[in-house]
Amino acid sequence: MISNQIALVRRELWEHRSLYVTPAVVALVMTLMLLTGYIFASGYEELVDIGIVGAQNIMGDGHRRMALGAFLIGNTVVFILASGVLTVFYCLDALYAERKDKSILFWRSLPVTDAETIISKLLTALLVIPLITFGVVVIAHLVNLVLTSIFVSIEGGSPAFMIWQSAPLLDVWATVLIVMLALPIWLSPFAGWFLFVSAWTKRSPLLTAFLPLVIVPMLEYFILRTHFIGDAIDERFTQLPLFSVDPEVFFDEKALAARTDAINLLELVDLGKFLSSPGVWLGLVVCGLFAIAAIYVRRYRGES
Amino acid sequence: MTSLVTARNVSKRFGDVHAVDNVSFEIEKGKIMGLFGPNGAGKTTLLKAVLGLTDCEGQLSVLGLDPFKQRKELIQNICFIADVAVLPRWIKVTQLLDFMEATHPNFSRQRAEELLSHTKVRSDAKVRELSKGMVTQLHLSIIMAIDAKLLILDEPTLGLDIIFRKEFYANLLNDYFDGERTILITTHQVEEIENLMTDIMFINDGKIILDSSMEALPEIYIELMTAGESADKARQLGPLHERDVFGKKVMTFEGVDRERLAGLGDAHTPSVADLFVAKVKGAAA
Repeated sequence: MISNQIALVRRELWEHRSLYVTPAVVALVMTLMLLTGYIFASGYEELVDIGIVGAQNIMGDGHRRMALGAFLIGNTVVFILASGVLTVFYCLDALYAERKDKSILFWRSLPVTDAETIISKLLTALLVIPLITFGVVVIAHLVNLVLTSIFVSIEGGSPAFMIWQSAPLLDVWATVLIVMLALPIWLSPFAGWFLFVSAWTKRSPLLTAFLPLVIVPMLEYFILRTHFIGDAIDERFTQLPLFSVDPEVFFDEKALAARTDAINLLELVDLGKFLSSPGVWLGLVVCGLFAIAAIYVRRYRGES
Repeated sequence: MTSLVTARNVSKRFGDVHAVDNVSFEIEKGKIMGLFGPNGAGKTTLLKAVLGLTDCEGQLSVLGLDPFKQRKELIQNICFIADVAVLPRWIKVTQLLDFMEATHPNFSRQRAEELLSHTKVRSDAKVRELSKGMVTQLHLSIIMAIDAKLLILDEPTLGLDIIFRKEFYANLLNDYFDGERTILITTHQVEEIENLMTDIMFINDGKIILDSSMEALPEIYIELMTAGESADKARQLGPLHERDVFGKKVMTFEGVDRERLAGLGDAHTPSVADLFVAKVKGAAA
């Protein structure tokens, strides 16, 4: 069972090279942008010097931590958005491509059950993509900080003091890892739905997957004058129950600017809240039901 | 003799269409069974039922297992080639071997590599870079490296040139078939496997219209080449099918005594292809 899962997940990585190419491309683009920024900035030597003098002498360690933390997190958000898009396309392709190229006949000629296959695709979507993305994020962070260090030392600052002593790397990475693992679980009903559409639709999985997400809430409103489905979909994108603080209060600009102490990101994460949230478990149940439907379709369709 | 496949009143319907209609047959161990039928006769549906790829009504037992419900156990001991195009185009040969090794308990990587070493298939090539014939060689090498009790081939040589087809069947006989294994094969190129198979089955409109060993065929079926008055006499014996060849009549008889036909013309055993036409057309008439 486990050795089959390892083989199946490896197969997903062979087939969908985009799973690691996408985060790598994002990292490359972001690094190039940063590099361009520094090359451009080096034309304004006086301003840069003032900035570095300020950062090194006037700012406290808390401020530096916060600035570097914000830089790293901002950087990470781009990766999370990209891996979200990647996951959507992966799920929609996962059980559609094998039917289109008829390789499903070959895969089903091997002693691997439909359930094992679909579990491996779900694992890839919910666990493997986040872990690969996280690995690339860590490398990208280190590369970006090295580039920044080079820039700072060219401009006469001390990178060891300004950056490496203050950068809250472990705090950021631990938080990012938890968010990257929790977010797919929170959004897993969509992954389940996309996988089901991928196993079921005869054509254009993208359209088949997204149209109901728009039309069903509209129909519900026009016919029943209620909006449970629309709210449920909306909630998944706005209400991740993972943080101990209200983001709107926390990210209030004035309150944030007034803080002088360093923020420990990990302290904002509330795993207990996540694990005890009914919404998380309900989401997993919905995901599971779609996965079972996908297994059923793959097994019973019996098409060539 | 133990029977590997036993079907009792097996049916499969798609809506109102009976793709397989109340079919019963057995395939015994060590046989090479040829299954023939016109397009849409139900061959592929029947094979899918045997492979557990589709469910069906009636009793179907393969290696003593229910193919649909116990597919995973079953598939460890049978292997099949459905069509040459089904290997995923993105996969590399080495990846394919890795995957087979990891998921198939009866797969021998060493054997597959040995078989592949006789071909032009490079181990670092992707399937999409191989010619159609090479893909079949690759698929066949993988299949033949599985120690399976039952091999099912559905149109294995479709779209291949004659040299590959000959090689394919030669490999199958020399490297794979050992009297212990059992092969079920369908193809349109009947004449290519005529000398290969031990048993034969015709299917038409979802029904089995012939199920016999090859040895028994000459005792039951006779083809008579005749003309003129003899033809009229022969016709009274109720041929299955009649056709014109170079101004002569060629009639196929079923279960008619050879001696009664001997005086009426040139009697011999029909080829499988001719018998097939006679049976299918005879059934339609």
